[in-house]
Amino acid sequence: MLRSSFLRRGYNKVAGIFGRAEAKKQDFPVLEGHPAAQESAEVALESRVTVQDNVKKVMKEFRIYRWNPDRPDSKPFLQSYHVDLSECGPMVLDALQKIKAENDSSLSYRRSCREGICGSCAMNIGGTNTVACLKPIDGDTSKPTIIIPLPHMFVIKDLVVDLTNFYQQYKSIEPWLKTNMVPKDGREYRQSPADRKKLDGLYECILCACCTTSCPSYWWNPEEYLGPAALLHAYRWICDSRDELTEERLQALTEDERKLYRCRAIKNCTATCPKGLDPADAIHKMKTKHMLSQPMEMVEIM
Amino acid sequence: MGASRGPRLSGLQKQVLSLYRGFLRAARCKSAADRRQIESIVSAEFRRNSNQVDRKNFLYIEYLLRRGKKQLEQLQSPNTESLSQTKQS
Repeated sequence: MLRSSFLRRGYNKVAGIFGRAEAKKQDFPVLEGHPAAQESAEVALESRVTVQDNVKKVMKEFRIYRWNPDRPDSKPFLQSYHVDLSECGPMVLDALQKIKAENDSSLSYRRSCREGICGSCAMNIGGTNTVACLKPIDGDTSKPTIIIPLPHMFVIKDLVVDLTNFYQQYKSIEPWLKTNMVPKDGREYRQSPADRKKLDGLYECILCACCTTSCPSYWWNPEEYLGPAALLHAYRWICDSRDELTEERLQALTEDERKLYRCRAIKNCTATCPKGLDPADAIHKMKTKHMLSQPMEMVEIM
Repeated sequence: MGASRGPRLSGLQKQVLSLYRGFLRAARCKSAADRRQIESIVSAEFRRNSNQVDRKNFLYIEYLLRRGKKQLEQLQSPNTESLSQTKQS
């Protein structure tokens, strides 16, 4: 790379002696007849060469969890990869893509939108559950970044985990509008702006599973406890003014003590949400709603 | 693992056997030719794994059980007709 730039400069110097115009046309034959474009193209080429010479390598170590089901006798382990950050995008997902493209194409992970809206690339990066496409790489090259799959989930391969239980719990809260009445003009179910504002902070959930897999209560009872994500969505439908079966929804959640009341207000969910939502608050509001809807004698005893 | 079918089966062994039984029951609901196909593939797979996989390798056995349960759910759906296998060269 250095040699070609040296040769190019030498050639240009020699060509310059014989006339600058010819040298330019040699470089960009497609720009003949456009002297301004040729000049700017020449400048761009010079600056690119200068930048390439000046940029230094910044090597960062990533230690990534690996397990291959096709090798049944192998145990899971952390594999080290070294990535040049100066040639890599800013987010952890960019580093993973670079590793998969250049280093090791057997590294498996889920990804889709690369902008933090699909929730596919959720994983545990440096101890916190986030989506890899929204987490910037920590520039400190003295410490490795450790990337492991979402905790307490069954691993299918490398960073891919089994989320079927999570999705089934989301399905079990029936996340659709339930009404008995037909709207007045027969067209839309209307809602005032104030009522719509109540849904802010609830509908943005991308179902990445970061909060649910950070909850210790969910770790110990994944089959029974619904988890912060499902409960956030349950509250989103409970407080929607267009939904009429609020009582039934609350009753379905609280008929046994394990779906909602396993929450112990640990608040790991709010701390780890990559979209900045507050599931702990939604759960608290649902508990309050349920307590207040019960007859006064029972509330006083509790 | 087949040789240890004595009076006491471990919990994991019972799960494997019940999964096998589930597959055979699902095969009964399909047509006769499909049923033979399913039974041959499933029994070959279980036998191969019982010979090759170490009985202490819980990590891998549990992984196979989870995968098998998902495949069984797919097979039990009325829209699925049969199973087929391709060989990795």
